[in-house]
Amino acid sequence: MRQRASTLLIALAAVSALGLTGCSPASVTPSASSTPVSGGTLTYASGDAEPSCLDPHVGGNYPQALIATQYLESLVSRNDKGAIIPWLATSWKESADGLTWDFTLRDGVTFTDGTPFDAAAVQANIAHVQDPATGSSTGYLALQKITSTEAVSPQVVRLHLSAPDSALLESLSQVWVAMESPTALKRTQDENCASPVGTGPFMVTKWVKQDSVTLVRNDDYTQGPADSAHTGPAYLDSIVWKFIPDSASRYAALQSGQVDVIDNAQPDTIVQAEKSDQIAHLDAPRPGASNRIELNSGKAPFNDPLVREAFIRSANIDAAVKSLFFDTTKRSTSALSSAEALAVSRPDLFGYDPDQANQLLDAAGWTKRDADGFRVKDGKRLTVVFPVSTNQSIPAEQSLFEQLQATAKQTGFDVQLTPMDLSSWYGALAANDYNAVSAPYTKVGPDVLRILYHSDGITPAPSGYFANLAQVDDPKLDALLTQAAKTSDPDARADLYTKAQNRLLEGFYLLPLYDQQNHYLYRTTVKGLRALPTVSTPTFYDAWLAA
Amino acid sequence: MLVHSAGGLFVLWAVATLTFFAVRLIPGDPAQAVLGGPGSQASPEALAAVRAEYGFDQPLLVQYLRELGRLATGDLGRSYALNMDVAPLLLAQLGGTLLLALLALAVAWLLALALATWSTLGGKTAWAVGSGIEITAAALPHFWLATALIILFSTWLGVLPPISTPGPVGLVLPVLTLAVPLAGFLGQIMRESFQAALESPFVLSARARGEGELGIRFVHVLRHAALPAVNLSGWAFGSLISGAVVVETIFARPGLGRTLLNAVTLRDVPVVIGVVLIVALAYILMTLVTDLAGALLDPRGRTA
Repeated sequence: MRQRASTLLIALAAVSALGLTGCSPASVTPSASSTPVSGGTLTYASGDAEPSCLDPHVGGNYPQALIATQYLESLVSRNDKGAIIPWLATSWKESADGLTWDFTLRDGVTFTDGTPFDAAAVQANIAHVQDPATGSSTGYLALQKITSTEAVSPQVVRLHLSAPDSALLESLSQVWVAMESPTALKRTQDENCASPVGTGPFMVTKWVKQDSVTLVRNDDYTQGPADSAHTGPAYLDSIVWKFIPDSASRYAALQSGQVDVIDNAQPDTIVQAEKSDQIAHLDAPRPGASNRIELNSGKAPFNDPLVREAFIRSANIDAAVKSLFFDTTKRSTSALSSAEALAVSRPDLFGYDPDQANQLLDAAGWTKRDADGFRVKDGKRLTVVFPVSTNQSIPAEQSLFEQLQATAKQTGFDVQLTPMDLSSWYGALAANDYNAVSAPYTKVGPDVLRILYHSDGITPAPSGYFANLAQVDDPKLDALLTQAAKTSDPDARADLYTKAQNRLLEGFYLLPLYDQQNHYLYRTTVKGLRALPTVSTPTFYDAWLAA
Repeated sequence: MLVHSAGGLFVLWAVATLTFFAVRLIPGDPAQAVLGGPGSQASPEALAAVRAEYGFDQPLLVQYLRELGRLATGDLGRSYALNMDVAPLLLAQLGGTLLLALLALAVAWLLALALATWSTLGGKTAWAVGSGIEITAAALPHFWLATALIILFSTWLGVLPPISTPGPVGLVLPVLTLAVPLAGFLGQIMRESFQAALESPFVLSARARGEGELGIRFVHVLRHAALPAVNLSGWAFGSLISGAVVVETIFARPGLGRTLLNAVTLRDVPVVIGVVLIVALAYILMTLVTDLAGALLDPRGRTA
């Protein structure tokens, strides 16, 4: 009994410690030791690929979002409750028919090259993202419903849409459609890629390719998104943004103090870091979809809901998350990231239950087993072809798939994992040559559900790509998602998304795993660091270095 | 000389050809590289447009001939991924890698020489210990050694930075990582030829004249013993450049090796070919230099 009490005490201590670190950015208590000081250079080490262009309009990937968050700003942001808050726009109004939106812009903002930020600047940015010559992919999708723009006055810009879009504000909060100086945008793309000009708290001053980007404080900066901790310029003099591809060297550099913050921390280093009192951990799951395995309901064997449920019941994901991620992440039972306020979790649907899995397979007619122990029906083995993109799955996740393969074998599934590079993987998907697949999708807001699960997403684009990889074709779900995308009233919208998610999850089209992993480690001398609740990139506007 | 140049040109052509096909035959899409690499959510339409613009939809042979035609005019082309011409890109990275490789070669020579001298001086035990050290050192993989050095000197002792800094301090660990395995190779060869030379008649007469053991080694023996190691240095230089891929990645040093690794991951063909051509050229030049050095050390070959 004594033993148990002390274990409980330790557990309680651990839980409260976790709670403290989890809340620190929100609860800044003013005391002598926590008064921010200005000055100093912070070194950030990214494990992501070095961007080929520092303007996130061009292409539009996560490495670009990470660094651009420091020098570019969006019209709106999102707070940690999921509400849209002012940033470069102070207020906005949707017309009754939902087809026009007026944004009032903050007064007196200038880009770091002196160009004023006004309605014309917003127009130039939307035009830049929509221009095919820019080569925008992520930003382009976010602004797809905008048909034209209009400067009502220098401080008010009007957007005309092709259809009502309840996700417009969430789309505009993403750094891939952040505002850049129209004067700078007139330069060649090469020049703008090397030194994009924004309104942010820092500006790009130097880029030594394959080594680092130097960002220097913008002394004329006045205020950040509405949930920032302070106003006026940033505290740090400058940030050196380095690229250290090797995960072990990145962590060694953090330990030695050579760098102050690292990203892409893997489960094993996070566990190590948690033992150190000089290093802290920031867990910032990416928004949009959770990491999940989509079951291809468009062809056998997963066109049978019983087989889909059997597969889900035969996969011991909880155990794999524990043993491979060392409790650095939580099991998800939602189609959406926990960063989404409207996410619906259904633990009742995704538990490990091999007995039930066996019964379901018997009921579905997969009653016989072959010499290798796999179930067969009409002479065909119960095979699940599972292409794995080595670009998109971290090593721990690839191991998790192998454990899933082992547990699913016990119920008689022959899971065939095939590691592939990105383009072979896209090729396999386009050829419909898969039964299960895991594909991350980062987007702000629950509208990601429409992209991933509306039946429109089954029709391939000319190149063969389609987003609805579970090939869900359910008119009732389509209706809910279409309606939700048009509904701006918060309660009605929440209700529609809740119904849609329940319907989707109860159809056993997907097996949720965990949030899309996004872990940062930083030295405890770095104070005031937080991730923006938009695409979960870190912002150094409120950050300062303690002596 | 003419034969040498023709041979060199042939090597460069063969290297460019092999590299082109090797990179293009691994499954993978160079169009993805143009649009921001594997992390980007490039739309399939954008990919199709890039394929048409860069000619990736043409037959491979047509693409190869076009690439070769450009290389023949001395134009290394433009990187798909980095939005810049290959020649200035590589020129900027060349210095760091050359410095690393030359320092590593020098340190490896010093280490090997010291070990060979010591192990031929100290009798049977020294011979065995020297031989053991050399075999172990030669077998150390760069990635393992680099990690071990970081743990020892950065994490435990805290005396050297784990990732490269611009100054000389930042060079210590990368240079050691490259130099130690090479010193193992060079040491083995040097010690064998040291021993052979020590048994020749001219050493006997030197001893008879009463010269000291250390003096004998540096004045008479080294000239003979160094020859095979000098010949090996051309090859060693090539292998150092390939070791630079690992070392530059682990220590986050800018350089040709890291450029090569990024370019291969992204299927950035012009950059890969550019780096490989530079390495081939360096290899050819180094072989030429070691031939000349060999001739200086061994007068017998000069008339031939």
